[in-house]
Amino acid sequence: MLTANEISKSFAGVHALKNVSLDIRPNEVVGLIGENGAGKSTLMRILAGTHQPDGGTLMLDGQPLKLRNARDGAAHGIGMVFQEQSLLLNLSVAENIYLGQEDQFVRFGVMNWTRMRAAAKRQLAKIGVDIDVTARTSELTFAARQMVELAKALTLEETVSRPLVILLDEPTSVLSGSDIDVLFKRVRSLKSRASFVFVSHRLDEVLRISDRVYTMKDGQVVAEHRASDITGPELHEIMVGRGLQASYYKENKQLPPRSEIVVDASRLCINGAFHDVDLQIRAGEIVGIAGVVGSGREEVTRAIGGFLTHTGGTLKINGEAVHFRRPQQAVRKSIGYIPRERRVEGLVMFLSIAENITLADLSSVMRNGAIDYGRERKLASDWIRRLRIKAPGPDIACRKLSGGNQQKVVLARWMTAGSRILILDHPTRGLDVGAKEEVYELVRELSSQGVAILLISDTLEETIGLSHRVLVMRDGAVTAHFDAAPGRKPDQVDLVRAMV
Amino acid sequence: MERFNDIKSLLAAGWVQGAISPALLVVLVLIIEVAAPGFLTSDTLILLLSNTAVLFILAAGVTFVILIGGIDLSIQSVASLASVILAQLLPQIGMLAFPVAILSGLAFGILSGYVHVRLKVPSFVATLATGGVVAGIALWAAAGRAITIEEGGRENTAWINGTFAGLPTVIWIAVAIGILAFVGLRYTRFGRHSLAVGAGEPAAIAAGINVERTKILAFAISGMLAAIAGTILAARLSSGSPNLANQLLLPAIAAVIVGGTAITGGLGGVARTAVGALIISIVRIGMTFVGINIFAENVVFGAVLILAVAITIDRSKIAIIK
Amino acid sequence: MTINAQNIKSITKSKQAGAMPTVGGRLFGRPNLKQLRAYAPLLVLIALCVLITIANPNFIELRNLVRVANSAAVPLTLAMGLTFIILLGSIDLSVEGSLSVAAMVTVLLATNDANANSFGWLAVIAAIAASTAMGFVTGVIQTFLRIPSFMATLGVWFIGLGISVYMLGGSAVRLMDPSIRDLALMRVLGLPVAVWVALVAFLLACGVQYYTRLGRHIMAIGGGEDVAELSGINLRRVRIMAFSLAGFFFGIAGVLAAAQLGRSDAVIADGRLFAAVTAVVVGGTALTGGEGGVVNTLIGVLIVTVLSNGMILLGISPYVQQTVQGLMIIAAVALSLDRLRLKIVK
Repeated sequence: MLTANEISKSFAGVHALKNVSLDIRPNEVVGLIGENGAGKSTLMRILAGTHQPDGGTLMLDGQPLKLRNARDGAAHGIGMVFQEQSLLLNLSVAENIYLGQEDQFVRFGVMNWTRMRAAAKRQLAKIGVDIDVTARTSELTFAARQMVELAKALTLEETVSRPLVILLDEPTSVLSGSDIDVLFKRVRSLKSRASFVFVSHRLDEVLRISDRVYTMKDGQVVAEHRASDITGPELHEIMVGRGLQASYYKENKQLPPRSEIVVDASRLCINGAFHDVDLQIRAGEIVGIAGVVGSGREEVTRAIGGFLTHTGGTLKINGEAVHFRRPQQAVRKSIGYIPRERRVEGLVMFLSIAENITLADLSSVMRNGAIDYGRERKLASDWIRRLRIKAPGPDIACRKLSGGNQQKVVLARWMTAGSRILILDHPTRGLDVGAKEEVYELVRELSSQGVAILLISDTLEETIGLSHRVLVMRDGAVTAHFDAAPGRKPDQVDLVRAMV
Repeated sequence: MERFNDIKSLLAAGWVQGAISPALLVVLVLIIEVAAPGFLTSDTLILLLSNTAVLFILAAGVTFVILIGGIDLSIQSVASLASVILAQLLPQIGMLAFPVAILSGLAFGILSGYVHVRLKVPSFVATLATGGVVAGIALWAAAGRAITIEEGGRENTAWINGTFAGLPTVIWIAVAIGILAFVGLRYTRFGRHSLAVGAGEPAAIAAGINVERTKILAFAISGMLAAIAGTILAARLSSGSPNLANQLLLPAIAAVIVGGTAITGGLGGVARTAVGALIISIVRIGMTFVGINIFAENVVFGAVLILAVAITIDRSKIAIIK
Repeated sequence: MTINAQNIKSITKSKQAGAMPTVGGRLFGRPNLKQLRAYAPLLVLIALCVLITIANPNFIELRNLVRVANSAAVPLTLAMGLTFIILLGSIDLSVEGSLSVAAMVTVLLATNDANANSFGWLAVIAAIAASTAMGFVTGVIQTFLRIPSFMATLGVWFIGLGISVYMLGGSAVRLMDPSIRDLALMRVLGLPVAVWVALVAFLLACGVQYYTRLGRHIMAIGGGEDVAELSGINLRRVRIMAFSLAGFFFGIAGVLAAAQLGRSDAVIADGRLFAAVTAVVVGGTALTGGEGGVVNTLIGVLIVTVLSNGMILLGISPYVQQTVQGLMIIAAVALSLDRLRLKIVK
C-alpha cells in the first residue's frame, strides 16, 4: 500500500538513511526497531512528509508520492503520533483533535462548539475511549493524551477516502503496563481501517503487536521478519550485532585506571528520573552508562554535570560533597561537559575557535587583568596543531567548522581549563568515521593522563569499546554492571537484556 | 524575495556587516558636502560631536544590554531621573550631586537586571516596568515640573559646558566613556562573557560562565551610563525634568542597531554604536536642513529602525520569531 | 516574548520531576492550589475595592463608581487589542502610535477648529480604518521581514506618533463635532456612552477569542507555534489578522480618547501603553502566549483603574502611579511563572 523505495537522507553531510526500502500493507501493524541513531525517526518523518528524502521515492497504491509537508501527508491519509507529544496543552481535548480542521464547525465566522464537542466525542468513541472533551489537555495523564493523539490522527478518516497509515513513534515510552495493554487493544481493533507503523525500543512490545518487523541499523534496513517467526533475543542480535573491532576503539591504549576515586555518587536520585544510583569513577577510568531513552542515564549525567540538582543521595567530587545547582559550580570543580547538542551547548558558533577554547578559563591568556589576544591566538594555534583541527586559523568562527573539528574545539576548551573530569554526552554523534577515530584517540590520551570520564553514547558498541566499566540502567535504576577490560569486553546482547 | 536573500547572505559575511555603517556614514557626509558645500567646517563638526555626545553615552549603555541579547526600555526614564536628582541636589550638596545621580542609575540598572535574571521576566517587560517605577519616582521628586538649575548650581555644571584643550568638555567625556566601554568589552572577562552570553547562552552556561552576574552587570552599566547622560543633559540645559530624555529612547536604540550591533546579541560593540550615533545625528541635522518637519523625524527614525533590524538580524539564531 | 534557543531537548521524565523551586515558593513558601492562582486577579480586585472603601468610603459612592467606569473605558478598549497580541506570544508597543493616529484622524476630519472638514461619523470610520491599516502594516512587517514584534512595533509606535503630531501641526486641535463628543458627554442609564462602547468592545473581543477560528488559532500559536503550524494553521495569516484586529481596537480607543478629551494633541496617548501592559499582565494573561484572555484583561483593567482612583481618593500623589504600576507588573509576571523555568529568557 505505502512503499518506500531506496530512500536516502543526509543531514549536514552525515547519512541518516541509506537506500531504505520497506512496505506497509493494508490492515497490518508493522514494527520498526533499531538502536538510537539507526534512522527510525528520520524514516518515519519522511513517510509522514515532514522531511523530504534526498534520494529514492515513496509510492502509495502504486503511484509515486511526493509530500511537501506534514499536511500533504495528512491529505493522503498518513498521520503521525509523535514521541514528544504534539498536543497544545493550553487547549481543550476537542480543539486538539480538530486543530487546523475547525472549518467544518464554523458558520458565518462563528464556531459551533456543541458540534465540535460531539464530533470529538465520536472520534474518541472510535477507539473506545471516554475522555471529557472540554478538559484542558494539560490536565490529562500521558496515557490519556496518547489516546487523544490517536483520535486526532484518526480524524483523517473523515477527509480521506482510503485506508489510513498511522505512524506511532515510541508511543509507549511514557506509558505504564496497563495503559499499554489498552493502547494495543485499540490498535488491534482499528486494524480494519488503518495500517500502523509501530516504532519502539521495547522489543517484546513490538513483537506483541506487530505482524511484521523491520530491523534498522546504521541507517539501513537489515532484516525483515514475520513477528511470529522470530524471538526477542534473536532480534537483539540482529539489532546490535556487529563485529567489534578492538583497534577501532583503540583498546590497546586502554590502561588500567588509577586508584583514587574522583566521582563518587551514592544512592543518588532525582525524583521522577532515577533513584539509588551508585556510581564511582576513578582517575583515568572511563565509565559508560548504557540505557534506552527514559532509563535515567541522561539525567544522571546532567546531574553530575551540574545541569540538574539531585534531590537525594550524595555526590562527592574528589572526596568533597557537592550539591550542584548550576553548571558553573561543576566547572569550578574541574568538571567539563561535552554536550550532545554541540552547536547549542558546546560552542558559541559565532565566536572564533580561539574565543571558544578560552571560554571556560581565560586565566591563561590574561595579562595584567586584560585579555592578551596574541597569547590567545597562540594558544588556539597550538591546539589546532596538536589536535589536527582542520581550520585556516584560530580566528575562524566555529560555525564554519565540520562536526568533527567542532568537537575537537570543545575538547580543547576543557583541556585548557584543565578539567580532571569529563562528561562525554554522545561525543561522536554526527561525526564521520575518521573523526570518530580521532576522538577515540583523544579520549584514550586524556584517560591515560588521569582524567576521569563518564560516557553515554548512541551505540552500545562504542560504550563497550571505550569504557573500563559499563553500568546499565533501566527505568531509573542501575540494573547491571559489567567489567569491560580490553580483551574481556562483554557481549552487547548481555547489555541489551539488562536495558530492555 | 530571492534577491533579498542573496543580499542578506552577503551581509551575513561578518566583515561586510561591520563595514556597512562606516560606509553609510561616509556617504552621508559626502551627500552633505555636495548639497551644502562648506557646511562641514570645524565649527559645525564640533557642534555635531557635542550634540551627539549625550546620545552616544546613552546608546553605549544600552549596547551592553543588547549585546547580551536583551533590551533596555528604561534608559530615558533613568536619564530623566538623574537630571532631576542633579537639579535638586546641586544647590544642597554641590558636586556630590553628580555621584548621587549616577549611583541612582546604577541602582536601577541593577534592579532591572535582577528582575530580568532572578524573576525570569523578559527584558523588555522588566525594563518597561522598572522604567515606569523610575518615571514615577522622577515625577514625584520633581512634583511634575522641570527644575531649573539656578545661578548657584550653575557653578558646578559650568565645567561641562566649557571647553578643554580646544574641544567642548562633553566630547572628551563621551570619548572617555567610549574608550572605557570599548576596553571593557574587548579586554575584560566580563566583555568576553557578554559576547558569549549573547551569542550562545546555552553554551555559555555549559562552559561555566556566571550568566546571571554577567547580565545584571550589563544592565547596571546601562543604567549608570543613562544616568551620566542625564546629568550631562541637565547641565547643558540647565534644568532637570522627569521628561527630559523621553525623546531619546528611540534614537538611542536606533543608533545601536544602525551602528551594526545585532539585537540577537553577541555581535557588535561600542565602536559600532559610535558610528551609529553619528549617523543618527547627521540624519537629524540633515532632516532639519532639508526641511522635514521636526515632528516627522520620528517617522523617519521608526522606519530606519525597522529597516536596520530587518537587515542586521540573524534569523538563524532565533528559532521562532515572535 | 521569549526567544526559544534551538530546543534543548528536555527529557519527559524530568519534566515531571519538577526539581526546581517555583518563584511562588521562593517568595511566599509553598505555593497554594492551582485554582487559587487562576482566581488571584479577581481576588486582588475585590481585596483592593474593600481596602479602599475602608480607607475612604467615598469610593463606593455611585458617582465615583461611574467615574471609575468612565476612566476605564479607553484603557479597556486598548487592552482588548493588546491582549490578542500577547496571547500570540508577541508584544505590541505601537499602542500609543495607533491611538494617536486614530484620535488625529477623528479630530481632523470631523468638525474642528483647525480646518473646514465636517465629515461627522465618517471621520470615526476613517479613524478606525486608519489604525486597523496600521495594525495590518505592523503584522506584515513582522511576518515578512521576520523581525521580532517588539522591534517592529517599536518602530511603528514612533512612526504613528510622528505622523499624528506632524498632521496636527505640533499643536492641539479641538474636536467640535457634538455627536462625537456625545460619546463622552451623553449618558445612557447613568453611564457615559463611551463606557457602553467599551463594554461592547469587550463583548466583541470575547466573541472573537472564544467563538471564532481566529481566536482559537491565536491561542494555538501562543500555546505552541510549531505544533500549530504542523496542524496546518497559517501562521502568517493569523499574525497579520491579529495585528489588524488589535489596530481595530486601538482605533476605537483613539476615537473615545478624542471624544473624552475634546481634542487631539501630541500627548493624548502618553502613558497608555504602560497602563495597558500592566492591565494585561496583572489580569493574568501570560506574556508567553496561549494563556489567559480578554476576561482576564477586564479584571486587570479594573484593578489598574481602581488603583488609580483609590490613590486619588487616598490623597496619594498621582505621580507615583507609574511606580506602582511598574511594581505590579513585576510582581504579576514573577508570580505567574512556573512552567517556564527551563526556557532561556531574553
